[in-house]
Amino acid sequence: MSTVTEPRKSEGAPRPRPTKGKSGTPSRTVNPMRRQQAVAAWVLALPFMVLFLVFTAGPVLASLGMSFTDMRSTDIRSPLGVEFVGLDNFTQLISDPLFRKVTLNTLLYLLLGVPLTMGVALAVAAGLNQINRFKGFFRVGFYLPVVTSIVAVSVVWKFLLRDRGGLVNTVLDLVGIDGPGWLDSTSLALPTLVVMAVWRNFGTLMVIFLAGMQTVPREILEAAEADGAGGWARFRYITLPMLRPTLLFGAVITSIGYLQFFEEAYVMTKGGPLDSTRSVTYFTYDQFGYGNYGLASAASYLLFLAIVLLTLLQFRLLRSKD
Amino acid sequence: MRSPRKSRPFTRGAATAIALAATASLVLTSCGRDESAGADGPSEAIDEGKATGTIDVWAMGTEGDMLQDFSAAFEEANPDATVKVTAIPWDSAHNKIASAIAAGEGPDVSLIGTTWMGEFAEAGGLMATPEDLVDEADFFPGPWGSTEVGGTSYGVPWYVETRVLYYRKDLAEKAGWSEAPQTWDDLKKFATDLHDKAGVDYGISLPPGQVGSWQTMMPFAWSNGAALTNEDGTEYTIDSPEMAEALDYYTSYFKEGLTETRLLDLGELENGFADGTYGSFISGPWHTGLVEDAGVKPDQYAVAPIPGPEGSPGTSFVGGGNLAVLEDSDNADNAWKYVQWLSDPATQQDFYGEVGDLPSVQAAWDTGKLSTDPQLQIFGEQLQSAEAPPAVPTWEQVAAVIDSITEQAAKSDLSSEEAVSQMQSKASSIGTGL
Repeated sequence: MSTVTEPRKSEGAPRPRPTKGKSGTPSRTVNPMRRQQAVAAWVLALPFMVLFLVFTAGPVLASLGMSFTDMRSTDIRSPLGVEFVGLDNFTQLISDPLFRKVTLNTLLYLLLGVPLTMGVALAVAAGLNQINRFKGFFRVGFYLPVVTSIVAVSVVWKFLLRDRGGLVNTVLDLVGIDGPGWLDSTSLALPTLVVMAVWRNFGTLMVIFLAGMQTVPREILEAAEADGAGGWARFRYITLPMLRPTLLFGAVITSIGYLQFFEEAYVMTKGGPLDSTRSVTYFTYDQFGYGNYGLASAASYLLFLAIVLLTLLQFRLLRSKD
Repeated sequence: MRSPRKSRPFTRGAATAIALAATASLVLTSCGRDESAGADGPSEAIDEGKATGTIDVWAMGTEGDMLQDFSAAFEEANPDATVKVTAIPWDSAHNKIASAIAAGEGPDVSLIGTTWMGEFAEAGGLMATPEDLVDEADFFPGPWGSTEVGGTSYGVPWYVETRVLYYRKDLAEKAGWSEAPQTWDDLKKFATDLHDKAGVDYGISLPPGQVGSWQTMMPFAWSNGAALTNEDGTEYTIDSPEMAEALDYYTSYFKEGLTETRLLDLGELENGFADGTYGSFISGPWHTGLVEDAGVKPDQYAVAPIPGPEGSPGTSFVGGGNLAVLEDSDNADNAWKYVQWLSDPATQQDFYGEVGDLPSVQAAWDTGKLSTDPQLQIFGEQLQSAEAPPAVPTWEQVAAVIDSITEQAAKSDLSSEEAVSQMQSKASSIGTGL
């Protein structure tokens, strides 16, 4: 409103005190003060820019370039000598049955893991939002797995899930169920890893969702309650829609994390049995280890592409309606 | 223990370094590889005099921790030389050495895992062993083979380890076996008897594929006369009737329930060996300590050479560490003198006394504890007949293929012939990289 009136006011009126000060003349030359500030800004930004260009942007571009060559570990002394192979690495990956399998594994992990993690986090956050006593205690308790070391946690879970003598199967034994070898079955190993990932990761989302829920205006909820809306209806039609941006954020960060899953499988199953828990990241890691730098770079760019596309898709699906 | 059981670490740091190098390659691109990366014959002989100057050494694991003190004797004999040992962890050793080779800035001498020789030599990072530095015949043949890439030797075996059959002597006696099995048929019968008569759950424990299981599977194939590559390492020759037969024999243990089809957790094998779950297994020298720690009394178990198809000993796997001088070393002659000293029988025996590493030089086994201890004698005997994996740059990748298809053959109804032909076709498409 005021922005509309302001220009009009200055239009007819003479410039205010044009003669005051030496620099009062309206010129296009840059104010020396401002130039100094710009120089200072660049100087201050320079260390970051240099580090970013040399250690982040450079390698990222370099690995993109590398993905179009047949570079191997034996070329390290003469990296100039590699052959340019165009899209060969990419076509080779797409036709590789193992790469297809690891892609499928990664997708399964994502499709099982993300909804489960978000669901559990939402349920726990909704529950915590209701109670007042011990809230901090529970919040810390549920968040604790997030701050643990993934490797340590994986080792402990591996012991819990042992076929013979593992805690899980011992407990199942007590109620008369003969527990399977959770990590030794091609059909159970991946879902088992998903369950562990959910347990470990939902804490972050829970905290974010809880914060989101506390921004839902109490008046609206009370108004709905006065209109006779039940607890579920209030949650479904008020809290959930208002959490939309929070949910989107949660979905994006969880998906990115799950698409890159690696450590759990590396520690607990070594990608087995029969490659049933080998992920795209694991595949890439192996290829780097074998010295196939070109192929490994190509695989990581395919994963990068998948992450970008998935994130775009989620933004599209979950963006607010207005 | 410290054997290069699996050398997969590849971190982002190294990836970054290599990526940077690759950018340069794209900017200045001038395609086409220089085909003669490595030398084609031995380096020139070194002079006879005493060593001088500073010799930088990288070593991993226990060896890295102990080598500095151990080298005092060398410095005493060569007053003008200083040995500077840097201990680096096994986990990051492959990267560090690769980076050093790429940058041309590294140690003079480095301990190199036997399975890395092909890659580093082909990259042009290692210096060919000088003529007359050591006599090939002094070493066990398998370990020496691990230094040879495309017919040229790029280092000297330092210490070795090999795999033998561990079995519970008391349980074997209960099952009617007063001595170790000699042939494949024996071994099968032995495992069956241990189960039927001595009450163990599994007569033998063999790894069902997955990381590093080729180290247990390949001895059966080698014993049967299979070879992984042709003589000069330019082609994989996995698809052979001998290999298929060996794989068939190996997987039969899984199909007949004589061994478990799952991967054991750390410590499970030793504890299971102690409590009678597993009657026998195949492993290296470090397991004597591990099983005794798990509560197996020294008279309860014994080791024996790996049975061959028709008789003992079969051909086992040999691993260990080699010593190599880097191409960019600025003190190469003196570095080789240090390597020569470390591979002297007397030095090797002292090193065994200090660290417990089995010597790669045969003469070191002729006197002292190594010649009298019956258990060590078995290892010495097995070392006479043991093979190293082919020293080619792509071996780790092909090993993973063999592991993965062995697992399929052990767990599904994939026939051995089909499995071996799959291994071959994958290995052929990977190529040896030489």
